[in-house]
This record gives sequence, structure tokens and C-alpha cells, in this order.
Amino acid sequence: MTVLPTTLRPDEPERLVRRRGLSIGDPILAWLVRILSLAALIAVVIMLVQTAVDAGTLFRHENIVEFLTGLRWEPSNLIYGALPFIYGTLMTSIIALVFAVPLSIGVALLIMEYLPHRLSGPVAVAVDLLAAVPSIVYGFWGILYLVPAARPIEQAIASSPLGVIPIFSGPAPGPSYFVAGLVLTIMILPIITAVTREAIAATPRLQREGAMALGATHWEQIRHVILPFARGGIFAGIILGLSRAIGETIAVLFVIGNAPHLAASIFAPGYTLPSVIAAEFREANQPFHIEALIALGVVLFVLSFGVNVMARIVVGRFERRAGGADVR
Amino acid sequence: MTAQPAAIGVRIATQPTDVAETEGVAVTTAPSKKAAIEVRNLSAYYGAKRAVANVSLDAPQRSITAIIGPSGSGKTTVLRALNRMLEVVPGARIEGSVRFHDVDIYDPQIDPAAVRRTIGMVFQQPNPFPTMSIFENVAAAARFNGIARTKAEAAELVERSLRSAALWDEVKDSLGKSGASLSGGQQQRLCIARALAVSPEVILMDEPCSALDPIATLQIEELARELRQRYAIVIVTHNMQQAARVSDETIFMSMNEDRAGYVVETGATAQIFTNPVNKITEDYITGRFG
Amino acid sequence: MSVDSRLLRPTAPGRRAVDRTIFGLCILAGILALAPLGAVIYFLIVDGLSAWSPAFLVELPGPITTPGGGALHAIIGTLMMTGLSLVIATPMGLAVAILIVEERTSRIAPLVRTAVDLLAGVPSIVVGIFVYTLVVLSTRHFSGFAGSVALAIIMLPIIARTSEEMLKIIPRSLREGTMALGMARWRALTFVFIPTIASGILTGIALAVSRAIGETAPLLFTALGSNFVQTDFSEPMNALPLYIFQNAINIGFPAAKQRAWAAALTLVVIVLLFNLIGRWLASRATVRGARS
Repeated sequence: MTVLPTTLRPDEPERLVRRRGLSIGDPILAWLVRILSLAALIAVVIMLVQTAVDAGTLFRHENIVEFLTGLRWEPSNLIYGALPFIYGTLMTSIIALVFAVPLSIGVALLIMEYLPHRLSGPVAVAVDLLAAVPSIVYGFWGILYLVPAARPIEQAIASSPLGVIPIFSGPAPGPSYFVAGLVLTIMILPIITAVTREAIAATPRLQREGAMALGATHWEQIRHVILPFARGGIFAGIILGLSRAIGETIAVLFVIGNAPHLAASIFAPGYTLPSVIAAEFREANQPFHIEALIALGVVLFVLSFGVNVMARIVVGRFERRAGGADVR
Repeated sequence: MTAQPAAIGVRIATQPTDVAETEGVAVTTAPSKKAAIEVRNLSAYYGAKRAVANVSLDAPQRSITAIIGPSGSGKTTVLRALNRMLEVVPGARIEGSVRFHDVDIYDPQIDPAAVRRTIGMVFQQPNPFPTMSIFENVAAAARFNGIARTKAEAAELVERSLRSAALWDEVKDSLGKSGASLSGGQQQRLCIARALAVSPEVILMDEPCSALDPIATLQIEELARELRQRYAIVIVTHNMQQAARVSDETIFMSMNEDRAGYVVETGATAQIFTNPVNKITEDYITGRFG
Repeated sequence: MSVDSRLLRPTAPGRRAVDRTIFGLCILAGILALAPLGAVIYFLIVDGLSAWSPAFLVELPGPITTPGGGALHAIIGTLMMTGLSLVIATPMGLAVAILIVEERTSRIAPLVRTAVDLLAGVPSIVVGIFVYTLVVLSTRHFSGFAGSVALAIIMLPIIARTSEEMLKIIPRSLREGTMALGMARWRALTFVFIPTIASGILTGIALAVSRAIGETAPLLFTALGSNFVQTDFSEPMNALPLYIFQNAINIGFPAAKQRAWAAALTLVVIVLLFNLIGRWLASRATVRGARS
């Protein structure tokens, strides 16, 4: 690399004084950076405002409380209630978390604690690759193979003694909250595993050796030292996984059954906020239909935003406790 | 420190003919009572690099054995080999034998966790479990070792261990506070109490005072002298005066030309410090190097 | 010599059983976690390969029920829209990262930071809505341009975050070295810092592309999709994920199902390619002079 000329000449002492306010020397680059950043900022603001305004026009037709608590969604009758979708979104996300969290912790422990080095690398990459598969592929595969595979299981549980409990009751036609939850499990597993792995890696060596020197078995070390230390990170992972599950659209769309109602059983078909938007937007021609869908989008955005803020707080607390270990 | 011969029957080497020389290591012969730990021809490797070469030593019961020497002379490596904590380091392995009362602790049939329950360790940095209270710290290991099953037994064990570690009076009213809320010296005594709760026979101490202030150091040293009545203690220290104050036996290690640690001389502390046999020992003691 | 291990208190069988059980459970977790990956890849290969042929890449599809046909328009659309979105997102992402790291005291820096963090968490369908209201409604047209904007929004936070982290780990010694030479900051930035972290930035770009290429939801009502090759950004365009979607909702027709599998295989191969490129770049992206 050739030596670059400096901007300083010996007989110009005033150049030595840093010009205030323009710490990147050249105006062009500085302004370029600022303009582009401002453009991004302004675009975000405009999008938020415009969307909110468009959604707001719905409320000429019905008020916000009716919308948020409405149980029926019948565009042909101009009835727009958001509750079935909010319920479906939460229900499928909870099912996904119930399955994904224990699995992720187990996989993270497997990779970090149990597997020999040669195996843990490839396994970790394989788990990460789960996240790389596009959601349309999961949706497509899901409707063709996962739903038929899950149907007998759902029907078996529904007709077993467990089926008395409303949440497990039949009928179980196949596509359902449950299958959507399964697909979401697959999709959020990688992020929870990744965060848990970092948390496990951040456990201070000194603490582990302390437990070891007391004659603790491997599991006892994990239980009494590693997992308590990793608790904050695991929690952060859960919130990140939840955030991902809430926003997943296409994969859920194919396997949930697209039924805009509230059903008690997890084996019943249902609907979520993102999937109804995706399914109905292009053919929405009823009055206020599009506005209602946009309003659903706003609800989804607010929900997602809330979870992300929570994630930020939890991650911040975890970082402070672990002494700055980066969880992202 | 009295000049009494310790249990191993080390005789003060006033007669040079009593001393057998093997490979430049001065070792006394004919012990009268079996040592708690016997190390013979121990070599330790980190990958291909030999860190410790042909070390032999004895750690007598009811006695404090100090391992001294300059940095890098393999003292901590040897100590960790005594309770199978060395193998935790990736790539580390040993050759030679380490016997605890005639049992080869590296025998494949033996569970390393079992070894560590019998041969306990206190680390350089106090490491109480911060997510547990003082009570839980001391009780935990004992609880899952099956030593204290009921709450009452656990409470009794905790009190006994904390008393043995000379910490009871200071913390008895705040047993629920986090283990990390104590001062450095107190934390170290907590770690000692925790190690004692498991009922080991040997206690290994890896420079236990190097992170502590002088007052806490003296407290730990006094504690060690008390513990010596019941346990075999092996203490690694880079502080010669501490070794002279505290120990009955001293093992002096140094680095050879291949940068591997080896034992230069062992013997009763009084003898090593007043009348060392080996010139290198004398140089170290008098401060000419290290 | 027999080993008397009573001297060394062996682990109680109960404790050892628990230890082994947990190990078994973790192995089970690993199998359960990787089984779906295996299943998807298996069916992609089995169903996808049987439906695929090189012609797939260069033909156009006929009516839904007609067997055969290809995804030429979708592939062209994907390439064009991803390309345009890169052109939009990369300079912006770099600018944002430079602003955040180099001009920390600027008044707009924290605002921009918040805006980008916000974008990172927005569900992709909502991104579609955003761009619908911003671009489609104002231009009264579904278009490839709108699709590119949507993809750019998805890429922006990834590129910005990666570049930000790379800028942050430029070692102090390098920064001070340029200062000691009296180099102006902008020169140091353009000629020293960015080249130093170039592979890191490329990693971010590769990962952003691998993500954006697979996205369906943001394109549903921005680019909309079409049935013929479209090179005009102001018109609706198709893309591979959209193509799969159109065929997948018609799985009743075996021809559509075939096309969907072939397209899915093609898409996954492309996505994995970029993902692996990103990983490979990341493993090489050590800043010279910094601790990796």
C-alpha cells in the first residue's frame, strides 16, 4: 500500500485545529452518510405513520374496542373482529415455546457439554441450518407431510381419556394450532439454541472447576452451576424465539387450517394474525376489508414490538450480570 | 515449626550418606508409615509439550506438605494431577503413578468424581457459587453426595464445617446471604468449609492466599495448621515465607533445560530452609533467582 | 493388584443413573431437533429431483393444470429484485453503521439506531404492509420496485448490524496509527478501515441475501407476481418464493405440486449456497491485527 498523502501541510497550523461539528473530515462523505441515514429514518417514520393512518380509517366503521375484542371475522357481512387471530397467534406461539425450550436446552447441552469436539461443530451447523430453510418450504412440506403424519396422533389423543380436557378435545381434522405450533417449534429452535449455547459458554471456568473438585457428576455440575448461570441467557432466548414465532406467516398459513374462529382445542383449525393478512389481502374487496387487515397488521406490529422491547430489557440485564457477554 | 520428623519418617539429612540420589533428586528412604498420597515418576503433558518430568513425592497424613518453586516450575500441574483435575484441561495427560493409600487413582475402573470427593481442592481465586446462599454453598456438595439427607442433618453439617473453617461466628446470623457477598478471606474460608463438608481425607490448596490481603492470609494459614491435625494437606505456594511458616514438609521444584518441571529437593521444612542439600535450592531460598 | 475403591467413595448408583438419563435425554433432543431438517432435505431431494430438470430453469409455466413448465420468470425476478434491493440496502446499511460508530455524538445517531433496531424486529408480513402503503398505494401500482423496497427493508438491519460490529472491532492500534499519520478520518475510513473489514461486511451482505431471497410474505402484495418474464421494475414481478406459493396453494393439481417441489429445491440450493458463503466469509473475517 502506497503512503497516502496527509491533508496537513507544515505551514498551515490552523489546520491542526479540529473543526468542530464535522469530525469526518470530508464534507461529501459526512453528508452522504447523514443523508442516507436520515432517509432510512424518514422512511421508517413515514411507513409507521401511513400504516397507522390507513388502519385508522377502519375505525370509521367500528370502534377500536369492538375490533380488538370481536370474536367474528366475516368480511362479507362487514364484521371485523381481531380476537380469533390474536388468540391463534398466542396459542401457536405458546405451543411452540412449550416444545422448543426443552428441546433447545437439551440440544445446547448436547453440543456444549456432551458431544466430542468433532461432532459438536457439525451438529451446531446443522441446527443453525434449520433457520436457513425458507418458510415457504416449511409450509409446503408441512401441508404435504407433517399434517398427515400428525393427524393420527391428534386423533389418538383426542379420543383417549385425555380428550375429555377441552384443550385436547376432538375433532381433529389435521391442520390445527398444534401442527402450526410444531412447525414454529422447528423454526424457533435454532435461535433459542444459539443463545443458550452462548450463555453456557459464558459460565466462568472457575465455578465449574469448583463444582468438579467437590466430586459433582456431570449433570450435577450442569444443574448447580451452568444452568443457574445460563438462566438469564435462556430467558432472553425464549423471548427472541417468541418474537420469531409471533411474526411467522407463510409456514403457519399452510398448516393451520385457516378458520377464523376461537377454538378451545389445540387440535382444531385456527388462524393467526400474519397468516390471515397473507391469505386475504390480495382478494380483499369488501369495504374496509383491507383497512381491517392493515389494522390487524398494526396489532401484530405492536405485539411484536412489545416482545422485542422486553427482549432488549432482559438481554440488557443478562449482559450486566454476566459481565458483558454478548447474547445477540 | 518444630523439627520433629513427620509421619513419613524423614530424617534430617545431617549425614549425606543417608540420602540416596536418583537423577539429581534428593529423596529420603525408608518411610515408616504410608503416606496418604504417593507419587512416583509422574510426568505431565499438555499435548506434546512435557510440563512436568519424573516427579516423585509423598504427602504424609496429618501433615502439611508445601510445594514451592519459581513460576512455571509445574507446581500447580502436579497438584492438579493429585485429584484428577488436570485431565479437565483439553490435551492434558499424565504418565507415572499417583496412589492414594495404595489405590492407583488413575485406574480406569475408578470414577474421577469419587477421587475428587476424597481429595478435595481449594483454588487460587475463591469461587463460592454466587447463585447460592452461604448455607447452600456448604450444604450442596454434601447433600448430593448423600452425606446429609434431611434438613436437620444439613444444618448440623453446615455448622460443623463452618466452625472447622473458622467462619461460623462471622456468618451464623446471615447464612441466607449470597456466597458472593463475603470478603475475599471469608469467601476462601467458605470454600474451605465447602470442601470440608464433603469429608475428604486430603485437601489440596493451590496458592490459596495469593488473592487475599495479609490479614486474611494469616487467618488461612492458621486455619491450615488447625486442619493439619485431621487431614493431609498439600499446599502450592510461591511465597517461601508462607511455606516456612506453615508446612512440615517442603518440596522444591524448578524448571529444567526443556522447560519441564522437576523436583530439585524434598525434605523437612526446617532442613530445607536452614540446610538445603542442593545448590539450586539454596540459591532459590536465598533469593538469588525466582 | 486389585483396586480397592472403597477408599475412594464411588458415586452412588442413583446419581450415576440420573447422570446417564440426562445424557440420554439430550441425545434424544438432538435427534428430535435434527429430524425435521433431515426430513425436509430428504423430501426436497426425492420429490424435488424427480420434478426437476434443467429445462425448469429456462421455461415458463403454462396454465396451472398443464404439466411441466419452468420458473424462468421467477428466477429472473428474484435476481432482479434481490439485486435492486442490495443496491438500496448496502449503502444505507453502511451509512447507518458508520453514523452509529463513528459519529456517536450526532443528534440523529440514537434515533437512527432505534429505527434500525425497530426494523429488525418487524415481522415480514408487516414489512409488506408498510411498503404497500408507502409505495404501492402512492404509485397505484404493484411493482417489482415495491418488492425490492420490501426486500431492502429486510436486508437493511442485517447489513447495518454486521457492519456496525465490524467497525467496532477495528483495533485501537490501527485507528491510532492512522491518526498518528495525520490521516483525515474520511480517508482512513475509505482507504484503511473499510478494506480491513471488507470480508466482514461481505458476510453481512451474504447473510442478508440468503435471508431475503427466501422471503415470500413481503412480496405478496408488493411485487404481486406474474406469469411471464418481466424486466420492467414498475410492473408486477414474480420471484421464486412467490412462484412456489402460487403452485403450493394449488397442490390439488399434480402438475402444480411438481413445479412447487422443483422450485423449492432450486430455492433451497440457492439459499444454502449464500448461507454457506456467508459462513465461510465469516470464518475468514478476522480483522488483521485484532484478536479474532
